[in-house]
Amino acid sequence: MAEQEEQQQITALDTPVPGPSQTGRAVALARLLHHECTHLLQLYKEKETFLSDHTPDGGRILSLSLDSEEPSTEEQVLLLHSALRQCLGLIHCVIAKEEEEWGELEGDYEAMRKNVRLRLEHLLHSTKDLAETEDKTLEVTPDHQHHTEETDGAGGAFGLKMWTYRVLQELIHWADHAAQTLHVLHKEREGTEEI
Amino acid sequence: MPCISSSSKPNCRPVWLFFALLGLSAMHTHAKEDLTVPEQVSLSANMSTKQLSISWLGGTATTFDLMILRTEFNETVFYETVSVTVNQVSGRHQWNWTSVEPLECTSLSIKIRSRDGQTTSEWSSTQILQGSDLPSNDKFQMYPQDKVVPVGANTTFCCIVEEGKVFGNIQQSNTVMNTMQLSRRSYATTVYNQEPSVRTGTNILCYDYPKTQLTGAVVFVGYPPLPSDLMCETHDLISAVCQWNEGRDTHLYGKRRTLYSLNKRICPQTQRERKCIMDQWDGNWTLVAQNPLGQYSLTYSAELSHRVRPEAPANVNSIVHAWYATVLWQWKYSTYSSLALVCEVELSSQGYKTTHTFSGVGLRSVDLPDLYPDEDYSVQVRCSAQQNFWKWGDWSKPFFFKTKTYVPEAPDVWMWMNRDNTGQVIWKPLTRRQSRGQITGYKVTFWSPEENQQHTEMFSPDTTAAPINLTQFATFSGNKIKATVIAENNEGESQPASVLIPLRLTDVEPLVVSRAVHTDSGFPLFWWKDVNSTCGYVVEWHEASCKWDCPVEWIKVAARNTNVTVESANFQPGVRYNFSLYSCSSEAPELQQRWQGYMQELVPSGSVSLSASQQDSNILLTWGEIPLVKRRGFIQGYNVYISNGSQLALLADWLILEILASLGITALFLIIVTFICYKKRKCMVHIVEKPEWDSSKEMLVVIPEEDEDEEGQGIGDEPVDTDEPTSLRYYNHVVDERPIRPRYPDSSTSSASSLDSARTDVTYTGIQTSGSSLVFQLDPQGFSEGHQPQTDQFASCVGGGGGYRPQMQTRAQSDDMRPASPEPFLDPQVASGGGYKPQSSWNFDVDAGESCGLAPSLGSPTSVASTQFLLPDEEEHGEEKRQLSSSAATWFTNLLSSTKP
Repeated sequence: MAEQEEQQQITALDTPVPGPSQTGRAVALARLLHHECTHLLQLYKEKETFLSDHTPDGGRILSLSLDSEEPSTEEQVLLLHSALRQCLGLIHCVIAKEEEEWGELEGDYEAMRKNVRLRLEHLLHSTKDLAETEDKTLEVTPDHQHHTEETDGAGGAFGLKMWTYRVLQELIHWADHAAQTLHVLHKEREGTEEI
Repeated sequence: MPCISSSSKPNCRPVWLFFALLGLSAMHTHAKEDLTVPEQVSLSANMSTKQLSISWLGGTATTFDLMILRTEFNETVFYETVSVTVNQVSGRHQWNWTSVEPLECTSLSIKIRSRDGQTTSEWSSTQILQGSDLPSNDKFQMYPQDKVVPVGANTTFCCIVEEGKVFGNIQQSNTVMNTMQLSRRSYATTVYNQEPSVRTGTNILCYDYPKTQLTGAVVFVGYPPLPSDLMCETHDLISAVCQWNEGRDTHLYGKRRTLYSLNKRICPQTQRERKCIMDQWDGNWTLVAQNPLGQYSLTYSAELSHRVRPEAPANVNSIVHAWYATVLWQWKYSTYSSLALVCEVELSSQGYKTTHTFSGVGLRSVDLPDLYPDEDYSVQVRCSAQQNFWKWGDWSKPFFFKTKTYVPEAPDVWMWMNRDNTGQVIWKPLTRRQSRGQITGYKVTFWSPEENQQHTEMFSPDTTAAPINLTQFATFSGNKIKATVIAENNEGESQPASVLIPLRLTDVEPLVVSRAVHTDSGFPLFWWKDVNSTCGYVVEWHEASCKWDCPVEWIKVAARNTNVTVESANFQPGVRYNFSLYSCSSEAPELQQRWQGYMQELVPSGSVSLSASQQDSNILLTWGEIPLVKRRGFIQGYNVYISNGSQLALLADWLILEILASLGITALFLIIVTFICYKKRKCMVHIVEKPEWDSSKEMLVVIPEEDEDEEGQGIGDEPVDTDEPTSLRYYNHVVDERPIRPRYPDSSTSSASSLDSARTDVTYTGIQTSGSSLVFQLDPQGFSEGHQPQTDQFASCVGGGGGYRPQMQTRAQSDDMRPASPEPFLDPQVASGGGYKPQSSWNFDVDAGESCGLAPSLGSPTSVASTQFLLPDEEEHGEEKRQLSSSAATWFTNLLSSTKP
């Protein structure tokens, strides 16, 4: 009898524990990205204190055009993937311009900035896996279509600071959007809100 | 016609005036026609330098009036007369003006006229330099952008509010700046004496009103470059590696950082290194450092052969032996093969470092002598050019090696013999360095030269003693045997180490036993040279209480030396040590001298065992010897107290006796010695009927007299300690049956054998005081604290005034020497005047007959009857105290008077 119980325990231990689903992992990743983007903005405000009580105007840097008025969740994920690629383009551009302007540094802000870039790339791979079909192949490379005119128009180092501030807020927005959209997908696919 | 002439005279005046005015007018018109009105005025603006270049065609004029106005407000910014010569090539006049405000701030109107003294031409047509505040440019702007200025400079900024908005303010670091309106939308401020910027520059912010929009500019405040210490050297004997110090922080980074070029070649820059490598050795170099604030040049010249700094040796290796090793390495560059090198080899072992220096052409290996076998070493090598030394190259990476093993060193051998013909051959364990490898065992051989017989035994590596039983050699004809010890390891046997052991113990003790006094460096011992000593001396020491197979330590001393300071980590406070000096010769070691000493004396850890017996009206007190291990110091004497239950009263202080007896002898008033110190420790107390003496409360105690008195801390002045003296009731009746609280932790133990030991009985009859008659017993062994019986002949004469000074700590004295009574029981005079004064040295091997006149009388029991004391009574003391002090005084008075014929 005791041997049977022991055998059952061993069997139970050997059974793989189901981990978070693919959509669950994507939601968790998006939430982590949102947290890190928020922290990155906080670190940036610590560097440029004048931004603490300033709310930039000018609206969103990125805008998405939906083909249909009521897109499906999968279509929304596709759009999200596109937006995230542009976000990756923006953070790439921020890194390049800041390093050119101020030189390469190894402070907390720079470390978190790198973290966000890597997390964003990771999330892009996740959304690619979730939204890619046999008919539609998705890219995970940065999309630079939105940054050139913005930065060129801003002017000077002060313009770069203001633009960086807008980009960081844009990242927070899209990371939050990603978490919500992927959570909807997760609910649809997994039938549960639990991650 | 005459009419005309006569009538026309008055009419001629207006005509004359007309012509005069006409002439003047013509002259003036001619002058204006000579000054050319400037034409084709053109403007060229450099926004970054805020410089406006104005050129025009001005004819032959060399002086011009220039007027610059802010167009919108028609405010004059500049109006001056300037001298400008014509450019012979272009035929134009040109003049440069630098604006305080950025040229973008607002539109400027410029007009020029020629001047010749006070005569000027007409103004030229106005030329306008358009600012960025035109309605067509309706953005919220600030100028200048990304300006780079030196530390301490003043910079004027202007903010152009968005069309239709209201200006708020300009701020720097939360400070609102004073502003001046330049135009409808443009406002300017000046930042004075600017401090160095942070890496991302200094922000100048402009807000509208209310605070809904923000624009700004970044100014970078820093220094021009100022590098120093340019230096070039070669590692490979071909190329040049030039380095320099960056100098002060320019506070300019990123695209504004300092760029360096060496001999007009741009130096690639990393974050930390300021280094430029040139493929060939040029001999002369010019470093140019440049940033937006300026440039700085450094030059350096040197010959290649004077700037050789070799690379760190690579691939260091070794060939090891037991006593030396060869260290080898390789060079990265083949050019070193013909280079004369000097190399330092740093050898590390057991935390110590030694440096060896070698030299040679293309040096690649060195021999390291004087190593120890079976030892771990670490070695590092660095080299430099032997000729024209420049700098040492970098150290190689540490290389570790271990030397090979070798036969062990001969052990240090000695012996210990017991009194029953047994003993031990002992040797000191070999240190790791002496072992030269793992010791596998010891071989001990006993050999009789006369009998030519030998007996060998093997012992394990952890053994340090081999037993001897001389009875095995009883049949040998010789008077000694030779014990030889050989240590063994895997490499073989050590050299033999020998000690001669006498076959027949002569049991001869040294004539003298001196006292050894411990110092900070140990026990310094001195002796006279022994002419028979051919191979030096051995000084051994061990605890004096040990008698059998004692853990003995020793040190061997060269024959030329007659002193040594003995120190050992094993020395303990309160432990008596015997130090013995043996001379070394072809015969067995012979004991030459002996010392005893304490590293630190402590109060005794045990009291005496006291007994009393009544003999008529006297009481005979007897106490035993304190065991040696409990003495913890040299006993100086004994105090006898009487206890009435609540306090102790001093009956006799043996030291008072000593001193006063000595005085008496000196004065020749005492012919007969009245008390005797002998082998027995007894004290006869003669009791006289005295009604007020509550016999039920009084007890007699004997306390060994300690060294506390040396510090002036009379026993009677001390509060009660937890220790109590052994107590006896009056008439030798033990009344206190409760466990006696020991004065010292183990003082309750009483040795019957000590009572049986040799002792001196001193009986004082007829000694009367107001309270009692006392009978005392004095024991010379008590004074000199009886050590070994055979040394009794060296018992000290305490009246000799020798100077032994006990090695005790004040704290220990005050802690341990407190009497049992809570109140002072010792008369202050007794404590001070009669108190024991420690002696600075006390050689108790001094011959008694030479140093002390009392010696003969101390040699045999003597009975003394005394009726008077010589000590005066102290009236100022309280009655009780007076009684106590007078007891001793009266006793001694009686003592002396009793000697009268």
